[in-house]
Amino acid sequence: MTTQKTSLPRQRAFLVDVERCIGCFTCAMACKNYYHQETGVVWRQLYPLDEAIYPHRERAFFSLACNHCENPACLNACPVKAYEKREDGVVVHHQDRCIGCGNCIRSCPYGAPRYNPVLKKAEKCSLCHERLDAGKQPACVQSCPVRALRLVDIAALSTTDAANAVQYPAGYPEMPQVNPSTRFIMPRTPRVVRR
Amino acid sequence: MQNIELPLVLFTVLSQAAVGMALLLAVRSCGCAGGACATTPTIAGTGENAPGSRTEWLTATIVMGVALLASLFHLGHPEGAVRTMAHLEKAWLSREILAFGAFAALLAVAALTGKAGAGLRAAAALVGLVALYTSGMTYAPPAMPAVHNAAPLGFFLLSALLLGASFGSWFAGEGSQPMLRAVLLGSLAAALAVYVIVPCVWASGGTVMQMTARAWLASPLYWARLVLGIIVPLVVMIRSPRIPRWMGPLVLLGELAGRAVFFGATVHAAMNLGAPY
Repeated sequence: MTTQKTSLPRQRAFLVDVERCIGCFTCAMACKNYYHQETGVVWRQLYPLDEAIYPHRERAFFSLACNHCENPACLNACPVKAYEKREDGVVVHHQDRCIGCGNCIRSCPYGAPRYNPVLKKAEKCSLCHERLDAGKQPACVQSCPVRALRLVDIAALSTTDAANAVQYPAGYPEMPQVNPSTRFIMPRTPRVVRR
Repeated sequence: MQNIELPLVLFTVLSQAAVGMALLLAVRSCGCAGGACATTPTIAGTGENAPGSRTEWLTATIVMGVALLASLFHLGHPEGAVRTMAHLEKAWLSREILAFGAFAALLAVAALTGKAGAGLRAAAALVGLVALYTSGMTYAPPAMPAVHNAAPLGFFLLSALLLGASFGSWFAGEGSQPMLRAVLLGSLAAALAVYVIVPCVWASGGTVMQMTARAWLASPLYWARLVLGIIVPLVVMIRSPRIPRWMGPLVLLGELAGRAVFFGATVHAAMNLGAPY
């Protein structure tokens, strides 16, 4: 489990507290409700941790959307410059420029860009950048009932978060060349309580 | 198995066939530069004392044209295809389109003028190789660990040699036939080794590579490619003193099947999120 820092002055990111997450899918549903994606298209998804990684009766989950990487594979692969990395690190997909070649979908190791079969274009989480600009939290972060999902700035993580956050936990591909910004707080081993 | 991406299968295989034809045409030119071989094309040609009839250039141009046309069907919005060269500084796909565009233009000039001199032949071969390299980089994304390496470039180079030699023999003079036979035989032997060894290497790699190896080996298209596209042609070529005319279509079928496996059965890293990598 290694953590690669960002060289950017600012990098907004999701901090996924797997210890707190209860797998309720509220974050995924909030995203769906806010953007009304087509059937089958999801920008945020919950992935249960395999028993080989978390071998307990209690389950743990990764809530994943776009990782807003420092060196995004989608941005580098897009032939029509449909992607933009903002100064705050958010990777935005401009759908009006997209021609639906699918190269970003093939290139992103985390499967963040999805194909919209109705528009015949790619699309992905843009970290609710319009909400951020209005001083609000992303829909998924705001909806989480257990505060398992937080918006942080990787370039200015608090000491506690920096000490606990993991960049490449088991069950998440290690891709230093793209340097994903999502950080995880991993779950503790459950306590066995004897009666 | 994922989508086999038929337009991409057609684009890559046909464009590589055109590159192979141009490449081996240039090699034949070098071999015949000193008049060392009989250069009379089997099909009515330019009358020049050099390999490469107008029909051969025209065939390569049409093949490349069909490849480019097929690639449009892969786009959700083909009308935006003209903008694909907007990101040449970073996107390998933009570079690929530029390189294949230039390659197609060179082929078209040779076909239209009917006078492909040594310079044009060399330029077509060189630009074709550059285009092949850009293809190898485009289809080696970090998201697919099994092919995020030199494997696609190797596959594509073998395809170009196999198809270039098979179809080039239709047009080559008698003097070039032994060279084309040797190229085809060598490429078939190399392809057999590569297509057997590579899945075995994947099987000993990380989880996603192992998943890719299992998906390839479980695909009937992989075995069709191996048997019909490599083993049968190899056995025939060992026994035959020259390349039969039906070899081109047979090798092409094998290549199409192999490319369908490449696009359809290579596993994406995101398929295993939450499980060990």
